[in-house]
Amino acid sequence: MNIVENFDLYAPRLINKKELLSAGHRACTGCAEVLAVRLMCKALGENTVIASATGCMEIVSSMYPTTAWEVPWIHVAFENAAAVAAGVEAGLAGLRKKGKIDDRYIKVVGMAGDGGTMDIGFQALSGAMERGHDMLFVCFDNEAYMNTGIQRSSGTPMGASTTTAPAGKISSGQKTWKKNMPEIMVAHGVSYVATACPSYPLDFIRKVEKAKSIKGPSYIHCFSVCPTGWRCGSHLAIAMGRLAVESGVFPLYEVENGKYKMSSEMPKKLKPVKDYFKAQGRFRHLGEEEVKTIQHKVESEYQKILDKAKYLKAWD
Amino acid sequence: MNKVLMSGNNIIAEAAIRAGCRFYAGYPITPQNELTEYMAEHMRRADAGVFIQSESEIAAINMIAGASAAGVRVMTSSSSPGISLKQEGISSMAACELPGIIVNIMRGGPGLGNILPAQGDYFQATRGGGHGDYRTIVYGPGTCQELADLTMDAFDLADKYRTPVMILADGMMGQMMEPVIFKKPKPRQYSEKFMLRGAGTGKSKFIRGLLLDPIDSEEHNWKLARKYDVITKNETLHEEHNIEDAQLVIVAYGTAARIAKGAIKRLRDQGMKVGLFRPITLWPFPELKLRALSAKIKNFLVFEMSTGQMLDDVRLALQGYANIEFHGRPGGAVPTPAELANVIARLCDKND
Repeated sequence: MNIVENFDLYAPRLINKKELLSAGHRACTGCAEVLAVRLMCKALGENTVIASATGCMEIVSSMYPTTAWEVPWIHVAFENAAAVAAGVEAGLAGLRKKGKIDDRYIKVVGMAGDGGTMDIGFQALSGAMERGHDMLFVCFDNEAYMNTGIQRSSGTPMGASTTTAPAGKISSGQKTWKKNMPEIMVAHGVSYVATACPSYPLDFIRKVEKAKSIKGPSYIHCFSVCPTGWRCGSHLAIAMGRLAVESGVFPLYEVENGKYKMSSEMPKKLKPVKDYFKAQGRFRHLGEEEVKTIQHKVESEYQKILDKAKYLKAWD
Repeated sequence: MNKVLMSGNNIIAEAAIRAGCRFYAGYPITPQNELTEYMAEHMRRADAGVFIQSESEIAAINMIAGASAAGVRVMTSSSSPGISLKQEGISSMAACELPGIIVNIMRGGPGLGNILPAQGDYFQATRGGGHGDYRTIVYGPGTCQELADLTMDAFDLADKYRTPVMILADGMMGQMMEPVIFKKPKPRQYSEKFMLRGAGTGKSKFIRGLLLDPIDSEEHNWKLARKYDVITKNETLHEEHNIEDAQLVIVAYGTAARIAKGAIKRLRDQGMKVGLFRPITLWPFPELKLRALSAKIKNFLVFEMSTGQMLDDVRLALQGYANIEFHGRPGGAVPTPAELANVIARLCDKND
C-alpha cells in the first residue's frame, strides 16, 4: 500500500489491539474518562511509565489488591503527578546515560483530572513544563471534583451547579469562567499542546501518538464526559462529548511550536450551546439570559482560536 | 432548644456558623466533604459570611490565616493527607498568634491510605505537626453533641489564647448521625488591636513569624511556651466512666472510646469491673488526672485505632505506677466492642 508522505492514515483496524487498561475496573456506567484512558494507553504502547494523580482514575483502577493497569504505573498524591513524572523521567535519563538500563525509549506520562491539573497540581505541572522534561501530561477534564462528590474546580464551566457552587434562589451555580489550561501551556512554550475528546477516538489517538513522538514536554487536554457528575444519562457520554465539540464549548485544536491548527472534526457552523445544555442536570436551572451570555462567550472564545489559527506563525 | 438530627460533618459546620465563624476555606477530600458542602450552602445565611473553595489545602490554611489577621472568626477543614499539607500554615499561625479552627476528620494512612476512620494523626496533631516549638490545642470529641459543643468552645479558646485549635475526629464521627442541641454561643471577645484593618491615622501594625534576631526569637519562643503552660494548667478536659470500682481502666478517645463503652457494658454483664478514662483534650493531655487514678487502679489498657500513639502520653502520665497494655487496629480497620471485650477478658484471666 502506497501511503503519501506526511499523510497519516488512520483506521480503527490500525489501532493497537492490546488492552493496557484491562476490563473489570470500577468506573461508573458510561464513564467517558476511563474510555479516554484506555485509548491513551493503546496509543502509548507498553514502553510507558504513567504517574497518576489522585482522582477517579486512580481509585477505579487500583483498588488494592487488584489493578487494571498493564503498564508501569505509580500513584503518589494529589498535587504532584507532574513532579513524580518529572522525577521518573530524570531518573531514567540518568540511568540510561550511565548505561545501567538498555537504551530504549520510554515515554513518561503524567495524568490527572481537572482539579489535579488546574488547581492543586498546577504548580508542579508548571515547573515540569518550564524545566522541559521529556514527558507528556494528559489532563482528563470532567469539569469538577467527581471523585469526592462533584465539588467545583477551576475547570467547572460558568453556570454549572456543583455541591460547593450549588444553584438555588440566590446563586446560579459556578460564577467564574473555565480556566483556559491549553493556553497556559502554550504560554509555557510547550512544543505540543492539543485538546481532544474520546468522542473522537481516532483524533485523540493520533494526538497522543504525536505527543509521544515529540522529544520534550507536551500537553493534551482531554475533555471527559462524566454522566454521574453532569447528571445526564449514562448512554449519552459520547453524544455529550460530540455536542460539546460541535457547539464550540470545547473546540478541538492543536498547537505545534506555537502554530495553531483546528482539528478536521470541527464543524463549519457551530450548534447552539442550548442543545448541549439540554440533557445535563447541572445546567437545568439556567435561564435564557444566562444561556445567552454563555453563548456569547463561547462564540468569542472560538473566534479567538480561529484567529490564532489564521494569523499566528510557528516559533523558529 | 430544639433537638435536631444531623451528621457529624454538618454539625461541625452548623456549630461554627452559630459560633460566629464568618470565613471558611476548604478543599474537597473524603470523608469531610459534607462539611465543605454544608458551608457552601449555608454560609450565605450568615451575615457577611464567606465561603471559598480554595485551589489546594495550602491555600485554604493560608487564606484563613489572612482572614484571621483581618479579625474574622475562621475555620478550615480537611482529612489526614490534607492536614499534612496544612502543617506549614498551622505552624505559621501559631508563630503569628492567629486564632483559627482546623478540623481534621481522620482517615487511614500513611500516604493517601484509605477513606475509612482511623486515629493515626494523634502524633501529628498533639506534637505540633509542623516545625518549631509550638503546640496546638487539640479536642478529641466522642459524641455528636460534643462535636457541636467543642466546636463552639474551640472558637472561644482560639480567641482567648490567640492560637490555632484543632478538632480531631475521624471518618466515623464525621459521617455518623445523632441528635444534637446547639447551645447558645458566647459573644466574641477579641481585641481590635490584633486585627489588621488599615493603619488610618494610627500606627501601622505587623503580624509576622520571621524573627531574625536570635534574642528576639528566643523571647518569642519563651512567650509562646509560657502561654502553653497556662493552657496546660487550665484547659484539660476528660471523662471518667464506671471508674469507681474498676480494676482495669481503658484509656481511649473519640470513636475508640465509644467502642470501649460498648465493650465495658459487655464485660460488666459478665462481672468484670472495667472502666473508661477518656481524654477530651488530647493536647493538653489530662496527665495529672490520669496519674491520680493510678493510686488505686493498677491496670490500664490503651485502646486506639492506630499502632499506639496516645500510648506514649499514657506512659508519660502514669510514669510506671501501673501496668499498661495496648490494643490497636490501624489503617481504617474499626474494631467491634465484642473484639475489644474479648481482648480484655483474656487480659483479666491472665492477671488473675
